[in-house]
Amino acid sequence: MPVTFTFGEFLSARSVIGSTLAELGETHDNLWALTPDIGATLVEFREKFPDRFLDVGLAEQVCVGIAAGLAYDGNIPVVSGMLPFLSMRALEQIRTDVCYPNLPVKIIGTHGGLVGNGGSTHYAVEDLALMCALTNMTVTSIGDPLMVGEVLRQSMAMKGPIYIRLAVGKSDQVLYQPGQHDVRIGKGIVTREGTDATIFTHGTTVAQAVQAAEALEQDGRSVRVVDMFTLKPIDADLIAQCAEETGGRFVVLEDHLAYGGLATRVADVVADRGIRLTAFERLGIPQVYAGFGGDEELRDKHGYGLAATVAATRRVLAAQP
Amino acid sequence: MTAQPLTASRDLSVAELEELSHELRTKLLELCGTYEGAVHIGGDLSAADILTVLFEYGMTVDPDDISNPQRDRFVLSKGHAAVCMYIAMAIRGFFSYEGIVSSYGQLDSAYGMHPCKVQLPGVEASTGSLGHGLPLAVGMALSARHRGQQHRVFCLLGDGETGEGSVWEAAMAARSNRLGNLVAFVDRNRQLMTSMAEERVVFEPYTDKWAAFGWNVVHVDGHDMAALVRVVDELPDPDSDRPTVVVAETVKGKGVDFMEGNLAWHAGSLGKADLERALTALNTAFEASRTQKENV
Repeated sequence: MPVTFTFGEFLSARSVIGSTLAELGETHDNLWALTPDIGATLVEFREKFPDRFLDVGLAEQVCVGIAAGLAYDGNIPVVSGMLPFLSMRALEQIRTDVCYPNLPVKIIGTHGGLVGNGGSTHYAVEDLALMCALTNMTVTSIGDPLMVGEVLRQSMAMKGPIYIRLAVGKSDQVLYQPGQHDVRIGKGIVTREGTDATIFTHGTTVAQAVQAAEALEQDGRSVRVVDMFTLKPIDADLIAQCAEETGGRFVVLEDHLAYGGLATRVADVVADRGIRLTAFERLGIPQVYAGFGGDEELRDKHGYGLAATVAATRRVLAAQP
Repeated sequence: MTAQPLTASRDLSVAELEELSHELRTKLLELCGTYEGAVHIGGDLSAADILTVLFEYGMTVDPDDISNPQRDRFVLSKGHAAVCMYIAMAIRGFFSYEGIVSSYGQLDSAYGMHPCKVQLPGVEASTGSLGHGLPLAVGMALSARHRGQQHRVFCLLGDGETGEGSVWEAAMAARSNRLGNLVAFVDRNRQLMTSMAEERVVFEPYTDKWAAFGWNVVHVDGHDMAALVRVVDELPDPDSDRPTVVVAETVKGKGVDFMEGNLAWHAGSLGKADLERALTALNTAFEASRTQKENV
């Protein structure tokens, strides 16, 4: 179905997951959907394929363990839930039962970052660091609802596991026109062209990075935004290319701990490849338990909101080689 | 692809199964005397009769057709008893015992302290972290149900392992999904690594716990081969709607007097003299039990 959206229009990522899984369930009779009591996303799938849907109740560990057991028998299970719990309560099951035998289990969920105002019990802010540490795991963080569907479709061909991080609310802003970009797992997307500096980001903060770039355009500065939605494997070539094409001026912005997420992934590439940068700034959550508040309020409070992004990018732009 | 039907389990007598179990224990001790590092010999010896009755009698498996979709599945949730499973499977024809004993625990060996399916095809799951096996078995049983297959999924847990909360999550999930094709054995040897079961952790009333989770509970002497055979013979139909747990009362270190019930023998290795002593004890115990049976 041909559809067009304008930037920032809202569309539910969860409904896209639901309809994509329902679509994939038709073509893949070994696709299962499992959840620890967070099944709203999966209603469409459940109604179409009730015998391939499993809600285990509040039990993340067994949910992932059962998914691994299903995968051992040739099935493709999708586990959908809230990421603070899936990524931590079930971390060992993800690592030992899924990643160790390299099974095609997909972990997808919401509450990545300081979103939803649930407090620190309900924010997944360490998840990307944890998932990137796991051998065999592919790690993604997605801000555009339609991209979620595309990544799910592509992941059907994968032999091993994938982690798909979403937020709530903010992540549901449409960033891209369908077909505007070649979405491929493992490749970053140049969301906005620019030549003076690059902001690398993922998930909920892509829209904010674009807003920052637009603000700086008023000053006559040309800032590139890269949506590095795959954190692992990281698109190292694109990072090298951006260093070359944008004066070695990097900002990394993310709704995750400032150390351990994308900033760390980018810094690793810079170090490993011996890339010479002019300036590097990372914007993310400091080592605090963030407290309560609206999504934007929390970002502002903790130093990675829009104003902070503009300010950091200005500093990077002003740096001399 | 149409799968070839698997032949049903072999019709071995109790006496023949006891011989095979004795062979398994003998080979375990030999390996424990050969390998320089520690072997989880206590929990291997407690599980030996259960693994023998499953691989030699209870399960429909074919060492020459390890991917047949109709095969019964076995998940070793107490993964530290890997060497007991390897040797039980070797006696059944899956692996070569010489291959196990010559490479166990060595660099690049497929036979490690805890089983790895990637490195050792024929093993159904990579296990070792306690509390993980039963959830995997639930997933396998669910898959079999969905596909209308008639095989069973067996899982062996240690009783100490059932201190892990994920075991009880799996117990609830198995009952909720009416998985009568799932059979868990608990090797109830009443010892943890560093303590006796009821002293530091109270497991009793143990069978009641499983019953309270809605499972079909069978209580058996885990070293009585005739009783184990009966348990296997009388398993509910795989189409039934309650998972079965067989709580098998066992002795850690069973068959070797100086290891039995001895916390020092959770894991260890045997020097030459100790190996001789262990084998003598094992043979004496085996002969005594045989004589006793002949006299009955």
